[in-house]
Amino acid sequence: MALPQDLLWYKDAVIYQVHVRAFCDSNGDGIGDFRGLAQKLDYLQDLGITALWMMPFFPSPLRDDGYDIADYRSVHPNYGTLEDFKLFLEAAHQRGIRVIIEMVLNHTSDQHLWFQESRSSPANPRRDWYVWSETDTRYRGARIIFVDTELSNWAWDPVSKAYYWHRFFSHQPDLNYDNPAVREEMWNVMKFWLDMGVDAFRLDAVPYLVEREGTNCENLPETHAIMKDFRARLEQQFPGRMILAEANQWPADLRQYFGDGDEFHMAFHFPLMPRMFMGLKLEDRKPITEILQQTPTIPESCQWCLFLRNHDELTLEMVTDMERDYMYDEYARDKSMRLNLGIRRRLAPLLDNDRRRVELMNGMLMSLPGTPIIYYGDEIGMGDNVNLGDRNGVRTPMQWSGGWNGGFSSADPESLYSPLMLNPVYGYQSVNVQSQKRFEHSLLSWMKHLIEARKSTPLFGRGSIEFLYPANHRVLAYVRQLGKDTVLVVNNLSSSAQAVELDLRPYKGNILIEMFGRNIFPRIGDLPYLLTMGPYQFYWFRLRRI
Amino acid sequence: MTEGSILTDDFLRELINVGEVDILIGVPTYNHAGTVGQVVQAIRTGLLKYFPRQRSVIINADGGSKDATQELVRAASISDLQHGPSLHALRTLHSISTQYPGGPANGAALHTVLAAAELLRATTCVVISPDSTNIEPEWLESLLRPVSRDGIDLVLPLYRRNKFDGLLVRNLVYPMTRALYCKRVREPYPAEFAFSGRLGGYFLGQEIWSQEVARAGAEIYMTISAIAGNFRLAQSFLGTKTRVDHVPADLVPAMRQTVGVLFWSLEQNFSIWSAHPDSQPIPTIGAEHEVSLDPIRVNRKRLHQMFVHGVAELEPVLESILSAPTLAELQSAASVAEEDFRYSNELWVRTVYEFAASHHKSVISRDHIVQALVPLYRGKTHTFLLENQDASADEVESNVEALCLAFERLKPYLLEKWDGRK
Repeated sequence: MALPQDLLWYKDAVIYQVHVRAFCDSNGDGIGDFRGLAQKLDYLQDLGITALWMMPFFPSPLRDDGYDIADYRSVHPNYGTLEDFKLFLEAAHQRGIRVIIEMVLNHTSDQHLWFQESRSSPANPRRDWYVWSETDTRYRGARIIFVDTELSNWAWDPVSKAYYWHRFFSHQPDLNYDNPAVREEMWNVMKFWLDMGVDAFRLDAVPYLVEREGTNCENLPETHAIMKDFRARLEQQFPGRMILAEANQWPADLRQYFGDGDEFHMAFHFPLMPRMFMGLKLEDRKPITEILQQTPTIPESCQWCLFLRNHDELTLEMVTDMERDYMYDEYARDKSMRLNLGIRRRLAPLLDNDRRRVELMNGMLMSLPGTPIIYYGDEIGMGDNVNLGDRNGVRTPMQWSGGWNGGFSSADPESLYSPLMLNPVYGYQSVNVQSQKRFEHSLLSWMKHLIEARKSTPLFGRGSIEFLYPANHRVLAYVRQLGKDTVLVVNNLSSSAQAVELDLRPYKGNILIEMFGRNIFPRIGDLPYLLTMGPYQFYWFRLRRI
Repeated sequence: MTEGSILTDDFLRELINVGEVDILIGVPTYNHAGTVGQVVQAIRTGLLKYFPRQRSVIINADGGSKDATQELVRAASISDLQHGPSLHALRTLHSISTQYPGGPANGAALHTVLAAAELLRATTCVVISPDSTNIEPEWLESLLRPVSRDGIDLVLPLYRRNKFDGLLVRNLVYPMTRALYCKRVREPYPAEFAFSGRLGGYFLGQEIWSQEVARAGAEIYMTISAIAGNFRLAQSFLGTKTRVDHVPADLVPAMRQTVGVLFWSLEQNFSIWSAHPDSQPIPTIGAEHEVSLDPIRVNRKRLHQMFVHGVAELEPVLESILSAPTLAELQSAASVAEEDFRYSNELWVRTVYEFAASHHKSVISRDHIVQALVPLYRGKTHTFLLENQDASADEVESNVEALCLAFERLKPYLLEKWDGRK
């Protein structure tokens, strides 16, 4: 099936993030693979998602869950073959699902052939593909990102007798983007996948491509120039394809990654996510509205990517110290839940498995300006396992049924890549796709309705937003508008029932039609519009002048 | 406003928007535009610094200000409508204002604050005087923390005062409250105080709000109620209290608000104060008391003249209030020259206790009884000023303690007079 030709498809997308490894094992080796993923495309299509973002699936020593790539042009044998990938890609496209793959530009694995050659001798032609130094004192302005594991951004290489630069783990040496050959080669890598039909790249760790003395080595103009060059090539050779920036930065710094509509198409809105959780716990819309007020306008063709949870920890880099302390105390009182500057938990456990809060957060995710991303398993309320190291606790196998290995694999349970969730609350016997498919009011069924409502109008992906600021600070209300289409969204962030008066005079004469039940609410008049809302309740109202 | 409610519909609407809170700060005002802005800004700073996570609200109960008082209070709000430099506040802070009916009255203001606190289910409340311009953000912590952390129901203030400031409290209100209710509360009539939601609800439920006594002196009655109701009390040192210059004309209402209510309370709580043994200290956070010795110019001669004239002019009234020996002693004291005049502790305590007993018996109008005490109090003030003219802080404190002990020692005298036995 040919995909629609809309160049701005990503603005209307509902993205689903998945690990190939974690989704479905087709060959019984205990590890998910592309054939398994392809088998589950009907499920994803039925859920209503329109794009699939996969974590790295390239050959890798897997010391950072695949973000340590050892070969950019192949598929890790655990997940199948390049042919399997192509078949999967074609199957996804047939279902109208676009495929976004991960591209780690900043660094490789130290097992990559390029690095092996580079370290072998200063005279090697690939020596300058990485950043080498005689000392470990250069670029002192650069912060250490993985503060729990790394002491320096330099690592001593006993083979080469020199230091190499790494912004992440020491087994992930940074590529040297001052070298034109590196830039050319990385474009060729991207082109390899684009030629195959991949729709988009999620570009990992983009702020760190270039290093300069006297700077913090983040967001440098040289980095933006490289990305603009890649974007120009993409536009020229592959129109309609998309690049998405992973740049965990403040909105003002993020803005630069959109350029004048000539750099990234999309970027994650990192600072919004923790503030949604904060607003919910504080029962106060202030953190959410404040960060969105500070969010700069972006070019018409660009889009924010919104998410509640992903494969990483719930990052708290983009909050103040006071806010971080609050978040830790409220969401990660148990210190084992904390990692780096964040919280390694899934959505449902973060929200105490409270269905109302899960729904409210998803409702905001789907109605705030941007393209939403659902992390695999969150649509059924999967739990996490903080006893697994690093971020593996949120990367456990997808829970398909209450049967053998939760329907994920036919292997012996001991040979699974990760233990399944087994506890009585979040275990696969309790939380799984099969059981939730049977009930109209399950979280899975509800998520389907939510996505359907979101997709019923392009307004959520493309429309403007205007906040209403009712005097009741527990209520977050905004009007989304696109052309003549207007939707009023009202969210009660509080655990208790609330009354709220909304100033809707600009919309006088409209009647309100609730989008999920399609019930009619009274016509807007001159007086403040009074709504009473249950705990964590939210409304989406389509405004109609009839 | 709905009949029978002290809350206007607009105020109620604002309270709905505020919702449940952890901390409620009440600020009673009446034409305080000159000072209240500074006070609410300090409150806001204190909340942000010490209670950033708590849900808080500032409630201004205004007696009908014609100036910008209410606008200044409202300006302390923190909301997402404000742009500009971030206040680094986690939460919204509502600062709302309402005018209660009937003109300015501390009791009505407190009643409004208590009603709001109950509706908002505030667990910790504090009242701050709108003219405490020397308030520090730390006052919020000193007052609120004992309630929120230690489960104290009423936290009363301790101030660093000039030795000649707060004379009515030092010479009458503190010693008498201490002797009768047996708790050593230095500021029973507080300008700033914190209380638990539990005590607030209890006090709100008292059948006093339609009475004049609540309108005039609710604060001291709250202290007494807390003692009588066996609530947990503590006092917390705040720092320097700005000296408020009293003009003589202020003394009568001040006497009504304090001594009048104290006398009235004895009626309600006879079984409690008559049974209590010796006074006990209450938990104190920070310094117990501090006295500054900066010289203050006081017209002692004028006080003496007012005493002498009062004793003479009010003789018929005093005859109906005081016993013959006490009146005779007073008249004798009034006859000596100013430099030789002394109003002894013993005589002062007997005077006060006889006034209290007469108030109980309503020998004449109770208000007249309270008013008649004013010139006599001026005589006692004269003696206090004279005796402490060159006194050190410790000596001042020692003198106050001596007076307190006299009030305690002579408590049986009050009981004797109360019963009507001579």
